Amino acid sequence: MVSTGSRRLPLEGVRILDITVVWAGPYGTQVLADWGAEIIRIESIKHFPPTTRGMMPYPDRNMPSLGGGSAQFPDHEPGKRPWNRWASFNAHARNKRSMTVDLRRPEGQEVFDRLLRISDGVMENNVPISMERVNVTWERVHEVNPRAIMIRQPAFGIDGPYKNYRTFGSHMAAVVGHYSFMGYRDEDPSMTGNTLTADAAGGAAGALAFSAGLRHREKTGEGLFIELSTAENFMTYLGDQFMDYSMNGRQPGHQGNRDPQYAPQGVYPCLGDDRWIAISVQSDEAWQALAGTVMQRPDLASDSRFATLAGRQEHHDELDVELLTWTVTQDAIEAMNLLQANNIAAGTVMAESDAYADPHMQARGFWEELTAEEVGTHLYTSTLWTAKNTPRRHRWGPPRMGEDNEYVYKELLGFSDAEYKEYEAAGHIGMDYDLDPGD
Amino acid sequence: MTSQQGTNRRDAGTLPLSGVRVIDLTWHAAGPFGTRRLADYGADVIKIERPETGDPARDMPPFYKDEPGLERSGLFLYTNLGKRSMTLNLKSERGRQIVLDLVKDADVLVESFSPRVMPSLGLDYETLSGVNPRLLMTSISNYGQTGPYRDWKATDITSYAMGGAMINTGHPEREPLHFGGHVAAFQVGAMAAAATSMHLLGVEASGEGDHLDVGALPVWMGAIDRRQSYLMGYQYGGGNSTRPYPAGALGSGTWICQDGYFMTTAGPAMFPRMMQMVGMGDLLETPEWSTPLARSAPERLDESLAVIVPWMLERTKKEIRAECQKYGVLGGPINSFDDLYNDEHLQHREFFQEIDHPTTGPIPYPGYHVKMHFVDGGELPARKRAPLLGEHTDEILRDVLGCDDAEIASLRAEGVV
Repeated sequence: MVSTGSRRLPLEGVRILDITVVWAGPYGTQVLADWGAEIIRIESIKHFPPTTRGMMPYPDRNMPSLGGGSAQFPDHEPGKRPWNRWASFNAHARNKRSMTVDLRRPEGQEVFDRLLRISDGVMENNVPISMERVNVTWERVHEVNPRAIMIRQPAFGIDGPYKNYRTFGSHMAAVVGHYSFMGYRDEDPSMTGNTLTADAAGGAAGALAFSAGLRHREKTGEGLFIELSTAENFMTYLGDQFMDYSMNGRQPGHQGNRDPQYAPQGVYPCLGDDRWIAISVQSDEAWQALAGTVMQRPDLASDSRFATLAGRQEHHDELDVELLTWTVTQDAIEAMNLLQANNIAAGTVMAESDAYADPHMQARGFWEELTAEEVGTHLYTSTLWTAKNTPRRHRWGPPRMGEDNEYVYKELLGFSDAEYKEYEAAGHIGMDYDLDPGD
Repeated sequence: MTSQQGTNRRDAGTLPLSGVRVIDLTWHAAGPFGTRRLADYGADVIKIERPETGDPARDMPPFYKDEPGLERSGLFLYTNLGKRSMTLNLKSERGRQIVLDLVKDADVLVESFSPRVMPSLGLDYETLSGVNPRLLMTSISNYGQTGPYRDWKATDITSYAMGGAMINTGHPEREPLHFGGHVAAFQVGAMAAAATSMHLLGVEASGEGDHLDVGALPVWMGAIDRRQSYLMGYQYGGGNSTRPYPAGALGSGTWICQDGYFMTTAGPAMFPRMMQMVGMGDLLETPEWSTPLARSAPERLDESLAVIVPWMLERTKKEIRAECQKYGVLGGPINSFDDLYNDEHLQHREFFQEIDHPTTGPIPYPGYHVKMHFVDGGELPARKRAPLLGEHTDEILRDVLGCDDAEIASLRAEGVV
């Protein structure tokens, strides 16, 4: 559905102070920013946030990539201000603003309070102890602006024995049970690798929480504090498995790429290096189409052992070999097109190059070109969904740290030039890190 | 395990989405997970199901005591908490008219049919918005409502393969790996719930409806879990991403410990904290270990493994976790479901909540995905169990649509409801 609309974006006029780090929190503010919210990232030149703005402020350009094959900086070059060129930050930061202030000092806290009074709320996903240190808590936020919405999104919530545990999304997935289920059927968890989908899930929940909070405020005039544990939120994605445990006492084992409802199902190798296709046979008819029409194997199509789901599950190992024997002779994209033409659920395991070349995503206008200072011109993912009557268009690329200091201090807070210079001299306002030893 | 918190529970009519009526034409996993979230936030979700068979999720495992039955699916019971169910034959003209009547006073309609279905039922957005111009319609699908793949088939694994970060998930010498269960579908539902709540603000402010197109492929291709960042990295001149070797980066891997497995992540920049933890702290003064660049040498990886592997083997998950906390190392244990139902933190937070149901009796369910702390000290109310098939048909026909007993009887006789 191509939007023909010219309507205001749904969150236009909403201002959110963003103290989020790494991915889970920033993904929520990305989604809100994409649809019009003014997201003001509060950063500090006195504190470097590891992983959020890079692994370290000034990485050696000879450092090998951390793996994954991906470039961490444009042309692998960290540049003068590497934190403005960090792929993992720039991927989510389009449409956001950035200002700097040191919240650890009283005059920094005063700036935060002034900004909070003219904002709709705060989103953060730090361990609680970090927020307590800079006195950004619900009690304070509510006192300064009783109409403010606050989303606190620490990994394990704001209370309980684990509240200050530091984790990435991959560890949260471990802690809440995903790797007792996700993993190769014949291997232990050390082979599984990891998933960071707890962060993607956290973003969806964060965007829902803040927008619902705004509606509550519109109806009641009250602020609202929503606590969103990224780990507990990702636990709800295993809901049906927990139900199995609660109803039947069943402890899940590694599922591999199989599914109780679809067989055969798996990820099979294709022609070329690291080329794969996922195939999922949803019905007896789909099996007939796969075996008879696509693989041209009448012997398999007529084999009564494979006629039903139960039979195909029972002989799954054997079918895996048959499928693989066919897929290794096939191009991954051509096989996907052929299988789908025969109404069989199948998808190439898309590498990044496949994603950009994909005709469907191109037809849907999923790639938007943006130019950012100190970064260059690149294609960014567009909004996750489209709206018939509301336009989708990114407004600007990722902000450099402190890019919007003049806007925030002078336009929003009414600082004079002299006051601005004072805060610059005091190490609140700036675009370069000024770190104390040990920070 | 506690059944209900003893705190001040809010009335269900005073939640953020209270007063929002959602006509729910979703089925299977993705859509119901999304409308469940809207119900969690207080929306009145009216789930429309086929007469006799209902939502196909009622036929999906796991089943109570492993026996199939319309009121026995764990997936259904879980994803439909807090909703009302009415049966309706959408293919009958009277059934279609009832949808239009419901839409008149509704705020939101969510559907997850294949893109061709709603138009074929005479229930396309143009028709629905003609009945109610303020309607927000959210369409959930596999590939979106437009584009060359619009009518293609998909399951959880193909959505994640095409859209998600599967190419870099798993072991480099094995096939890429999917999640267990319905994770790919649930994320699409969760994003559809966010989209609906966000656009509802615009619709309520302007009085003008809208139609949202939420597709699994775009949702996953724009997901932040490595996918989005590696796409950026590709734009920045990198290659395609790959699956890393276990423990292939300094201090990063899933280690065997005394009572299971423990996962940590460090890399050359963050490794000093881990060196302190495993007793390599003295080496930080030496040129081989003093800088991130020096620590990136392949020999350092081998030397680190010689220390980390035995250190982990000698300790339990709980001990390692305490050490990680002490030294600021990022990590966590691989927990089993047994671990989780007995976990002190989840118990403290009263995460699992008992819900009663005619089939299962009271059993623990995973709790809300958020906790709301209202300014009067109120908290979210206890959740209502999933509806029986058609449990609220009469109530909705009578109270929402104003049908009398004779009309209801006639609808029933015709097989409309």
